[in-house]
Amino acid sequence: MTDAGPTLPRHLYVHVPLCRAKCAYCDFFSLTPDEIAASPDAIVDALVNQTRAWAERGLEPAGLDTLYVGGGTPTMLGDGLATLVSALAIWAGVGPDAEITIEANPESLSRSLVELLAMAGVTRVSLGVQSFDDGELALLGRLHDARRAQEAARWVAEAGLELGVDIMCGLPGQPMTSWRETLVRAVETGAGHISVYPLSLEGGTPLAAAVLIGDVPEPDDDLVADMLLEAENLLGEAGLARYEVANYARPGHESRHNTAYWTGAEYLGVGPGAHGMLDARTARTAGFVVPTEAARVRYSVACEIPGGLTMMPRVDVESLDAAQTAREDAMLGLRMVRGIDDALAAQAGVTGVLAELARDGLVTHEAGRWSTTPRGWLLGNEVFGRVWAGESRLPVPDVDPSR
Amino acid sequence: MTDPTLIRNFSIIAHIDHGKSTLADRVLQLTHTVADRDMQEQMLDSMDIERERGITIKAQAVRVMYDADDGRTYQLNLIDTPGHVDFTYEVSRSLAACEGVILVVDAAQGVEAQTVANALMAMNAHLEIIPLINKIDLPAADPERVRHEIEEGLAIPADEAVLASGKTGEGVRDALEAVVRLVPHPVGNPDAPLKALIFDSYFDTYRGVVALIRVVDGSITKGLKVRLMASATVTDVEEVGVRRPANIPVDRLGVGEVGYLITGLKDPSLVKVGDTVTWARGGATEQLPGYREVKPMVFTGLFPIDGDQYPDLRDALERLQLNDPALVWDPESSHALGFGFRVGFLGLLHMEVVKERLEREFGLELLATAPSVEYHAYRTRGDMVVVHSPQDMPDPGHLERIEEPYLKATVLVPPDYVGAVMELSDQRRGTFKDMQYLSATTVELHYEMPLSELIMDFFDQLKSRTKGYASLDYEYIGYRESNLVKLDILLAGKPVDALSFVVHRDKAYARGKVLTEKLREIIPRQMFEVPIQAAIGAKIISRETVRAMRKDVIAKCYGGDISRKRKLLEKQKAGKKRMKSVGSVDIPQEAFMAILKVDD
Repeated sequence: MTDAGPTLPRHLYVHVPLCRAKCAYCDFFSLTPDEIAASPDAIVDALVNQTRAWAERGLEPAGLDTLYVGGGTPTMLGDGLATLVSALAIWAGVGPDAEITIEANPESLSRSLVELLAMAGVTRVSLGVQSFDDGELALLGRLHDARRAQEAARWVAEAGLELGVDIMCGLPGQPMTSWRETLVRAVETGAGHISVYPLSLEGGTPLAAAVLIGDVPEPDDDLVADMLLEAENLLGEAGLARYEVANYARPGHESRHNTAYWTGAEYLGVGPGAHGMLDARTARTAGFVVPTEAARVRYSVACEIPGGLTMMPRVDVESLDAAQTAREDAMLGLRMVRGIDDALAAQAGVTGVLAELARDGLVTHEAGRWSTTPRGWLLGNEVFGRVWAGESRLPVPDVDPSR
Repeated sequence: MTDPTLIRNFSIIAHIDHGKSTLADRVLQLTHTVADRDMQEQMLDSMDIERERGITIKAQAVRVMYDADDGRTYQLNLIDTPGHVDFTYEVSRSLAACEGVILVVDAAQGVEAQTVANALMAMNAHLEIIPLINKIDLPAADPERVRHEIEEGLAIPADEAVLASGKTGEGVRDALEAVVRLVPHPVGNPDAPLKALIFDSYFDTYRGVVALIRVVDGSITKGLKVRLMASATVTDVEEVGVRRPANIPVDRLGVGEVGYLITGLKDPSLVKVGDTVTWARGGATEQLPGYREVKPMVFTGLFPIDGDQYPDLRDALERLQLNDPALVWDPESSHALGFGFRVGFLGLLHMEVVKERLEREFGLELLATAPSVEYHAYRTRGDMVVVHSPQDMPDPGHLERIEEPYLKATVLVPPDYVGAVMELSDQRRGTFKDMQYLSATTVELHYEMPLSELIMDFFDQLKSRTKGYASLDYEYIGYRESNLVKLDILLAGKPVDALSFVVHRDKAYARGKVLTEKLREIIPRQMFEVPIQAAIGAKIISRETVRAMRKDVIAKCYGGDISRKRKLLEKQKAGKKRMKSVGSVDIPQEAFMAILKVDD
């Protein structure tokens, strides 16, 4: 046999389902230490074992381009996080160019942990700052204050790691002045990467409930639109250019791991609540039973911790056929500033839809590429929704005004 | 055949919610017509909608055998009538099949508008009226006050009114004794040619149209040839029988008897409520009195949300019409809504019930336009156009005058709320006729009012302005000239035909303004600014703007979010599909009914 067959994807996401406390707006899967009957070491062991189990399913590691440890709050693992990173790096193999990112919350980061992580091979820290206003941080249920965030950012920089900062706008009661302040302070951290998220009120979260019963005001969409524009301007002037709907970076500091998500690359997801994406061929090698016409397989790991994290968890599988795969690629590609080329648009069968979106001023077509316009960034769901649906709006009978 | 002296034909009449159907249930139980284990609530209301809403839409007849205190067994035919003003004609035909009625009055609510209207109908039909004060088990029951209201307000002696509770069954036997004692037995000539009244019909998939009949003279036998006089149709008697409440065939039905008739006819429009059945040969020469053609009063456009369901909608209407010959329709096409039907109804309740049945029983998703009435548009060239849909209103330049249907509305209300009723009626172009005190607690007001105003949310308004105390009844009194104009609504500069409506000129500005404001709230923000304009002819009388949507984006989309966000986008899209796209504007369904909710 000369065909080596599919190998383990070159992008790995590991989910650490651990938080000291649940933030008021978050609906991701995580547990507090009280809820999880396992020590940090046991969690690290389980995650490493679950990653290795993929080799037993026929996917041998072929080296990692990117590793991303997210959560939850990975830094809750303490020194164990460094162990996790080096164990995975050694097992799967990483080159000198590999991008290894960990997500961190300011309150659970320390100077010594940052240094330890750097030694374990971590290259980037994505810091969940969210706001530089202490009142807003309290509203969000965050456990840190602005000063702690600035301190944590400094430790990351001093350890020679790349720094990414996440911030949020459209918080209940947040005025534009406060948002500007947060933007300015985020730039001042020296971060090479800043992510900007408008608050999304997820059903079932305490913050959504507080808005529903009127305890806090509902964010105004027009103001949020202005805030997003302000972010684009202010970050742009500071040298951080948008490269995706919500992501800004200095040139060369874009997240390669996240870019893999938007460009149809295979990635493995490990840990409760994690998601992975495999080509159908890879999935079949790993023992998934998928329909003949499947081209792409997405799976999600169950949000549960069976047998104290020792067993292989249950996964839910969704398969996409070739047409759906192409449309998904087109939809995700349009999330990025560089957009998609004519060939992908044609393959996805969305050239007509794109022409309509261009008429509505949501995308443009230049030099053989379709890309999202400033208006399109704000009305992204219109772009992504129509491209994913892949159909033009139904022709409507023209109304004769003389009637 | 039963000796007519042992037959009693009676009906139970009541204002809505006064407990008519529950009382009927107790009668069935007491006479062992329905075994206890088969008993369900509101036995005679066979449709889900009837049970859920607590209303009776179709008349029903059931024969019960009652062992009376005098030692004899009587054949009692209970005819359950529709309880709503929309079905006044049907009620009148059901009453014509009876010699007496039990007039049910709620022991707490007392006399209400439909109590009065029903009692008057019974009086006009010269029926014996047995007052029954129901729900005496309620804590708020006040039988003495209600007895007084019946005597004062209806001039019906009530000192011997039956006190009963449909819930506990108390007094039900007293009611049947009163029926036996007070309701006259039917009188007819058994040797005369057959005359039988059709008081309702329904469609059976296997047997065709089944008519409910009451024999007045002569008799009807299986195998005979009969003629339906008004529809001039001759047919065979395939089967006659009685309803207990299941159909039990009998050889013949004689004078005074109530039962069913199956002729094999498949076309319900040939079997008309109020028609007379007689022998084909040697039959009667004169019909029973009281027959008239049923005319729809309220019209609305019904459009399938999914245009592919248009043929299904037509099939469904045809199916419903089998049991509801009052339902009429014509194809209608709208630039905004595509193909649908202009459907005529007896009234608003009838409309709601039909729409609900179409959606529920036939799985259709429908969009209904605001109801309208039948206008008579007289053109300058001398002819008259019947207008069922505002979009068909002739150009104002060719119009000489427009006439619209008027009603006599009767409102019963406690004296404290007379002012509120007057204010509302004034706003609705009502002309006050007179007012009288039925009792210290009830005033009866009479108004003449255009039907078009009454179908505009009048009843809900009346209820809310009188804290629910007012009750309403109305009857049609004919066409009158009114100064009417057609108001058009333009979205993004284009008229949306399905939003047009006809309104009195004096109110056009106010209504146009309120409606555009209402639409601004209802129409979601879209990708572009949407101007909303109200216009009379070419003249714009009000304008509002739905500002363009500025932000609609799921910002976070990483590995774990992709499937989830895709589904979210699909859901968002499905939500838009439920709206109607007119030009580039997505209009939610409720916009088409907004005109109804315009408070003055």
